[in-house]
Amino acid sequence: MSETKSTIQTESNPDRPVSTTTGETEEEVRSEWREYAFDGEPKLSVENLDVYYGDDHALRDVSIDIPEESVTALIGPSGCGKSTFLRCLNRMNDRIKSARVDGSVEVDGEEIYQDGTNLVELRKRVGMVFQNPNPFPKSIRDNVSYGPRKHGDIDTGVLAGLLGRSNEEREAELVERSLKQAALWDEVDDRLDDNAMGLSGGQQQRLCIARCLAVDPEVILMDEPASALDPIATAKIEDLIDELAQEYTVVIVTHNMQQAARISDQTAVFLTGGNLVEYGETDQVFENPESQRVEDYITGKFG
Amino acid sequence: MSSVTDADPADWRATARRRLTRARDFVDETDRSALAAVSIGSLALLATLVGFLTMSPLTVVPFAAFVVAVGYGWLRHQALTAHAVTLAMTASTILILGLITVYIFLEAWPVFEYASVEVLGVSVPGLRLFTETLWSPVSEPIGYSLVPMIHGTVMVTVIATAVAGPLGVAAALFVSEIAPPTVRELVKPGIEILAGIPSIVYGFIGFTIISPWASDQFALNGQGTYLFVGMVVGLMALPTVVSVAEDALNSVPESMKSGSLALGTTDWQTMTTITFPAAFSGVSAAVLLGVGRAIGETMAATVMLRNSPALPEPLYNAFYGYETLTSLIAARYGTAHGLQFNALFAAGVVLFVTVLFLSVGSQLVEKRMRRELGGEE
Amino acid sequence: MSRVTESALIREETSTLEAIAGVAIGLCALLFALAMAALFEVVTVTDSVAGLPMSNVLGGLLAVVGVVVVGFGAASYRGLVPTEPRASAGAVAATAFSAIWFVVGGLVASQTLGVGLAGGLLGGGLLGGIAFAVTAIPREDVGSTLPAGALALLAGGALLTGVIGPGWSWTPFDLNATFFPPIVVPAVVMFCSLLGGWAAAKAYGGFGARGRHLGAYLLVYLNALAIVAVLVGLVAFVVFKGAPGVFEGVTVAAGAGPSTTVSAFGFSHTVVWPVSWPFLTNGAALMNDVDGVLPAIVGTVWLVVGSVLFAVPLGVGAAVFLSEYAEQGRFTQVVEIATNGLWSTPSIVFGLFGYAFLLPRFGGEKSLLSGMLTLGFMLLPLVVITSREAMLSVPDEYRDASAALGVSKWQTIRSVVLPAALPGVVTGVILGVGRIAGETAPILLTMAGGTFVPGSQTVDVIGGFQFTASPPFVANPALLEATSALPYQVYALVTAGVGGSQLNDPEAFAWGTTLVLLAVVLSFYAVGIVTRYYFRRKLHQ
Repeated sequence: MSETKSTIQTESNPDRPVSTTTGETEEEVRSEWREYAFDGEPKLSVENLDVYYGDDHALRDVSIDIPEESVTALIGPSGCGKSTFLRCLNRMNDRIKSARVDGSVEVDGEEIYQDGTNLVELRKRVGMVFQNPNPFPKSIRDNVSYGPRKHGDIDTGVLAGLLGRSNEEREAELVERSLKQAALWDEVDDRLDDNAMGLSGGQQQRLCIARCLAVDPEVILMDEPASALDPIATAKIEDLIDELAQEYTVVIVTHNMQQAARISDQTAVFLTGGNLVEYGETDQVFENPESQRVEDYITGKFG
Repeated sequence: MSSVTDADPADWRATARRRLTRARDFVDETDRSALAAVSIGSLALLATLVGFLTMSPLTVVPFAAFVVAVGYGWLRHQALTAHAVTLAMTASTILILGLITVYIFLEAWPVFEYASVEVLGVSVPGLRLFTETLWSPVSEPIGYSLVPMIHGTVMVTVIATAVAGPLGVAAALFVSEIAPPTVRELVKPGIEILAGIPSIVYGFIGFTIISPWASDQFALNGQGTYLFVGMVVGLMALPTVVSVAEDALNSVPESMKSGSLALGTTDWQTMTTITFPAAFSGVSAAVLLGVGRAIGETMAATVMLRNSPALPEPLYNAFYGYETLTSLIAARYGTAHGLQFNALFAAGVVLFVTVLFLSVGSQLVEKRMRRELGGEE
Repeated sequence: MSRVTESALIREETSTLEAIAGVAIGLCALLFALAMAALFEVVTVTDSVAGLPMSNVLGGLLAVVGVVVVGFGAASYRGLVPTEPRASAGAVAATAFSAIWFVVGGLVASQTLGVGLAGGLLGGGLLGGIAFAVTAIPREDVGSTLPAGALALLAGGALLTGVIGPGWSWTPFDLNATFFPPIVVPAVVMFCSLLGGWAAAKAYGGFGARGRHLGAYLLVYLNALAIVAVLVGLVAFVVFKGAPGVFEGVTVAAGAGPSTTVSAFGFSHTVVWPVSWPFLTNGAALMNDVDGVLPAIVGTVWLVVGSVLFAVPLGVGAAVFLSEYAEQGRFTQVVEIATNGLWSTPSIVFGLFGYAFLLPRFGGEKSLLSGMLTLGFMLLPLVVITSREAMLSVPDEYRDASAALGVSKWQTIRSVVLPAALPGVVTGVILGVGRIAGETAPILLTMAGGTFVPGSQTVDVIGGFQFTASPPFVANPALLEATSALPYQVYALVTAGVGGSQLNDPEAFAWGTTLVLLAVVLSFYAVGIVTRYYFRRKLHQ
């Protein structure tokens, strides 16, 4: 385990995935993992998902069911397609012009890859936190209330003020609640009108989480949210994820296996070539993996 | 970066001493013949400059000496010569550009002096150029007012900006954010190519097609309207605005746009509330550049306007077009003598200063944007 | 907050009502196209279509658009159509509508009712205020359809009832200009159809975020389309008008063209070109079958060559110093800002400088050399800017890697930095040359030659060099003579007006010259842009 800790982890750019060949046929890989069964309806259900970037086959025939109100960690080496997979769940892959997606992704039993999918509604339900903190160059308050404003739930504009429809209390309440949920309130409550660009990296990332929570999503996708942060900020984010799992379905991509082991309920392991190799309860996957290759990866023999 | 210039005198003196020591070391270490070549070359170049400025027919002699010195240095001591030559080229470039600036001001000075006015006991040169409204360089009463031309330039620029600004920014949004990749690949170079259509082509079409048409359609007396000159100039400035504004919009990081879209906003909402505000400085720099192009546009205005400096009645009447600063110069340089000639330079100075102001302003604004977006700069 | 229904993840199939909104958009597009055609005099407003005057037809269609738009808003308000309107159409729409209605109210009150300026302001203020209230206060579905639809109805009504019809005219204030239906009707129809189309597109998207998105996209797409159409149309127009002149008398046959004799080492060989293209190979003269622009083409070529020879070495050298030798700091920053400023300085200012400074130093007459140098001065800042940009974009790793191998600074610049920066420099120079090749103002002041130049006056720079015994020892009369260039020739033709009676067909000649100029300049741009694409692609491989 200690070897992996010290390796320098470079994240592949999701726009230009690294093409890798496994040297094994897909059949061999598929046969290695068993179904993971859980009680209740899955929140997200993915079936036979393939993603191509141009000629690159970035994700191969992935099927996975993700239960509600839990933390699911996606781990694997660089370029294994875990970020790509995550971006399929709220169709952010649509931003990449060369990407092509085959297969099915269902949110609460509704297929999201079909004509007539309301992307606005989808992304309201399935929120996302990115690898690098990306606050808007606006005040902290405006960052948090950005989503609800755009969805018409909050309006504090001049016109709304004139017409007496301004709902500033509601905004204040929402901002406070979201920032508290994201464990940032105590650090910024006296400077909500400051530009968010002036916050530290860890604070910015928690602001991005607060921004996501303000829209009241059901699922939160996190793409290595702590990879750009120092250990203290990382610990804060991890505690936060633990809290969030009470109410939300969290799917988190991470490089860091210790982190996955600490925070997740289920773990899915992607290995090179965009294959999902193993999926199950976190303890099971880490302590008694089905696949020899997953064991090798987890014990740091490669990766 | 600023620490060097803002340092206190003691530091400054130390720096100077260090520079001097370095120069002495350099002289000691360098080959005698190389030094000789470089010094002869520099002296020859200086002599060439002096000769040229004094219109001496012997200018060619020092120039030949310069060429020989550089040729020798290049063969024997290439690195040092290259350094010296590039330095000389930089100096020449700055000198030429400085010369243009200074020369225009010098040539304009007599008319500024002529038109000076005492204000509260202080003589303000050139004030009457801007307070009177009469341009009559030949017949009495003599007047060299630039006001009619400034008015014309303002009319044309305002109309041109009204055309090029909003349409150009909307088109930049389209190219940068909305257009599908294949359309973008076609439209972007297309707009760049169109930026190259020479202004005389616009002027020719304006003169042969638009002016007669407008005069016919609106039952005007004669041809030449600020309205249509402004629209033509706006069309000319449009590609510039689109290109520069598109660059600015493109420089907004994708992560910011994704961050907004992932919250469930539409592309349009992301564009108007994230991308556009973040790129606002850059976009306004683009519009400023477009304004600069419109102010300096000469040929379309010269061939489409009436070329008789006067103020229209009423002042906002865009259906009449007399003269702009640029068309004044283009139409009169050949027949102007004495103060009238200097007055043309005064018009040049007004143009030069205005456009320089706009250009520097747009550069500062753009720099600020890059800094705000946390990019390199 | 009155959000009627929580929107579903999956949108329903297209409803009939959506289809109606779609039809309204189509109708607006049709109206827009008709009005455009009328403006360009493809159809005439006063003509009749199927027994009805054109303006009545347009008015009727406009009224239909108005009714559909208002009707859709009302249906949505009553909950007959599943939409997701916001509480208000928003401040931007309210401001825009109140401004539009202010103008309408003001014009109607002061011009039609004739109550004067104060009455106009009052009427405008009244209608503008009402429009603001109607847009801002009710829910979005009413606020964004009613003001737009009402305007379409009003304009449609005015056209239908003949208030604005054949014989109508309007001379506002004291503008010396009169507005007639052939201008006013298309303009009004275009404006109203844009507004109606926007409202219909919003309705089609069910208002709310998606409706606004569609409404805005409609306008942005249309704007882009219009710009491309206008600019492409412009080029096409010049090609169309100029082609007859340019291609007049072109023959392709063995031995049809002029002959070129190549001689070297006592041998000489004569090649007879298989193409005869008189417009490009003739001058202008009384006896010519086809008048041509050869002197102007050659003049432009020499101008470009001269200014490039002057500006490129100087500019690139300065850029090398500024980016490699000089300390990056305040000095380089100031130089950068100054060069940028000079690049955007109006070309006429450079011309003025050339006229007053260079002319006295080169014989006191307008000359090719002065033109070259003036354009060279113009090109210089651009060469410095692009070369410096290209050199700064060469990664420092290259320099470090080279320096780490013990290579001297100059060797590094020569063998690492310059080759890596070359594509950027070349592209920048080509684009800059495109711009100066089309410049008229500076050469007008510094080198303008005659309007109709005979072929015998084609400038010959290479053959013109002479050596003399007295200073300055070298002379070249060709460089010191005025010559013509394409952009100047176009200008001269404009100012000469119909004075070109010595030509067979002055108009074809003028348009032909314009086309040749356009072709020369645009090909510089095309080559520059293709070069850039080529190098970029190579870089990304």
